[in-house]
Amino acid sequence: MLQTILKYSLLVLAALSFIYPFIWMLSASLSSESSLGELTLLPVDFTWNNYVTVFTKIPLDRAFLNSALVAVLTTGLVLLSGAMVGYALARLDFVGKNIIFYLIIFTMTLPFQITLIPNYITMVKLGWVDTYLALIVPFALNSLSVLLFRQAFQSLPQALIDAARIDGAGELRIIFQVLIPNIFPTVLTITILTFMGLWNEALWPLIVIRDESTMTMPQLVTLFSVGGRAEGQLGVKIAAAVMLAIPIVVLYLFFQKHFIRSMASSGLKD
Amino acid sequence: MAEVILRHIAKAYDKGTNVIKDVNIDIKDREFVVLVGPSGCGKSTLLRMIAGLEEITDGDLLLDGQRINDLPPKDRDIAMVFQNYALYPHMTVYDNMAFGLKLRNMPKDEIRKRVMQAAKILDIENLIDRKPKDMSGGQRQRVAIGRAIVRNPKVFLFDEPLSNLDAKLRGQTRIELQKLHRELLTTMIYVTHDQIEAMTLGDRIVVLRSGDVMQFDTPLKLYNQPANLFVAGFIGTPPMNFLAGQIVRKDSTLCFLSKQKTLTLPLTDTGHEQSLKTYEGEEVIMGLRAEDISVSLIETNQTLYVTTIQVVEHMGSEVLAYFTIEEQRFVAKLSGDTLLEFGQSVYVGWNLGKAHFFDAKTELAIR
Repeated sequence: MLQTILKYSLLVLAALSFIYPFIWMLSASLSSESSLGELTLLPVDFTWNNYVTVFTKIPLDRAFLNSALVAVLTTGLVLLSGAMVGYALARLDFVGKNIIFYLIIFTMTLPFQITLIPNYITMVKLGWVDTYLALIVPFALNSLSVLLFRQAFQSLPQALIDAARIDGAGELRIIFQVLIPNIFPTVLTITILTFMGLWNEALWPLIVIRDESTMTMPQLVTLFSVGGRAEGQLGVKIAAAVMLAIPIVVLYLFFQKHFIRSMASSGLKD
Repeated sequence: MAEVILRHIAKAYDKGTNVIKDVNIDIKDREFVVLVGPSGCGKSTLLRMIAGLEEITDGDLLLDGQRINDLPPKDRDIAMVFQNYALYPHMTVYDNMAFGLKLRNMPKDEIRKRVMQAAKILDIENLIDRKPKDMSGGQRQRVAIGRAIVRNPKVFLFDEPLSNLDAKLRGQTRIELQKLHRELLTTMIYVTHDQIEAMTLGDRIVVLRSGDVMQFDTPLKLYNQPANLFVAGFIGTPPMNFLAGQIVRKDSTLCFLSKQKTLTLPLTDTGHEQSLKTYEGEEVIMGLRAEDISVSLIETNQTLYVTTIQVVEHMGSEVLAYFTIEEQRFVAKLSGDTLLEFGQSVYVGWNLGKAHFFDAKTELAIR
């Protein structure tokens, strides 16, 4: 009994310490600038002003649409390309299959910062700076999704593929109509991991996008917060940060169960 | 019409090992042919080559006279039933059966008609909306067969379709497959390692060993006139008994002399004298079916050997008695009311006319 109480107290304490900064952020964003010094749970001098300021100073709605467009499109492409490459590596026979696979795995060990400059130069040469292409194309294939798809496809019986071939299905139909529905948890994992990664990405957009109307939310919020346009008002910065977090929080509420599974299986990546 | 001809068919993987060596088989229209052999003999590989799931390294595969070596599976007009059913787990029974038809752009009404008809034949109409995970093994197997039937293919291929079912269901399904073959009047090629399945289902049987055809004939021919030692030992339960020896002439009579020389059997009037004449002085192997051996507690005019019973198996309708002749294990199939016990001394005999003889070197039957 005592043990149970102790256990729960510890867990509650831990949960509170994680949730407190977020709650404080929410309440701070709804408080007046002068009362920000107090670390309270409820807003002091309740006001929407911070949000009004954010929306008047920066095109946050436009940035939201940009972010959504980039994240949705790229995630879709990651699923398509990952499934196709993963299937080829798992189920087709061709020369150099293993070498290609190990090369793809090798790229996972390279920190993003190392490829940052070469990638940027490529974007410049292609003339994609300040376009959505720069935000989408470099991320349209990722090694984690290839790896996860490959493992999932390998776990399915060959007879399923054989049966589909005899039924008259081509390789694409086999991938997307016969196999994918049977590895749905993997698809969801990849979707969540990819989407979150893209949504939170701030560094790459900061490098390739300078035109405000093409900026993504994290980029815009970062620029706004540190670029001086918030005029040192902490409350306004916090309100922008809340706006940035809300979509992911909403997504989390919808896919809570899968989120946890995705996180558990993401031990492969940072 | 669906005639399948395999002409010098061979299969080799990169390392140069031939898993299928020069196979020649002609399968007639509406024939039920069984490919049988021990595991690793290449029977499944051969079937998959006919299906188009494995490449053919050498030779010609003809379907109704047309060479189909390079046709993809979907264009071969064949259907296949897999050992583990291979149903699409996310689709209902109906969709599983309809999938192949949809891909062929068949009108919806026609698809429905065909699926329901197949479901009726297989008695799975009440399962039509279920998913594979909600069905038993036997039911899944029916759906897998149904998926093949709706396609109305020229040739049906079965890859050990009964091996995942329990013994009772296996027997039932075997009978139903025979019925199905009679109703559908289609060419069927069936792979199994179970020689009873092969004997009961096949119009003709291909016995395979290490990618080689050992014999291709009717079940009775395989049983009564095995072409070689392997077929003789593989077909039949319990397996054929073998005794090594040589052909000798004794007092101008041609005889079989066993290896340890404890048995000298004159071949006069056995029907073997003519064929074995040329083998004088050569090593041969004598084969005896278990049911052709008599075992008794008293000496009879058939008695050839005295030995001790080592194991007795009472099967109800029959008794299997195990003993050794010249350290070679023998089994005799006796009537169910035979009373025998472990350790009893028995008089063993057989009619030499029923024996089979094989060349010890080539292992081929001597006829």
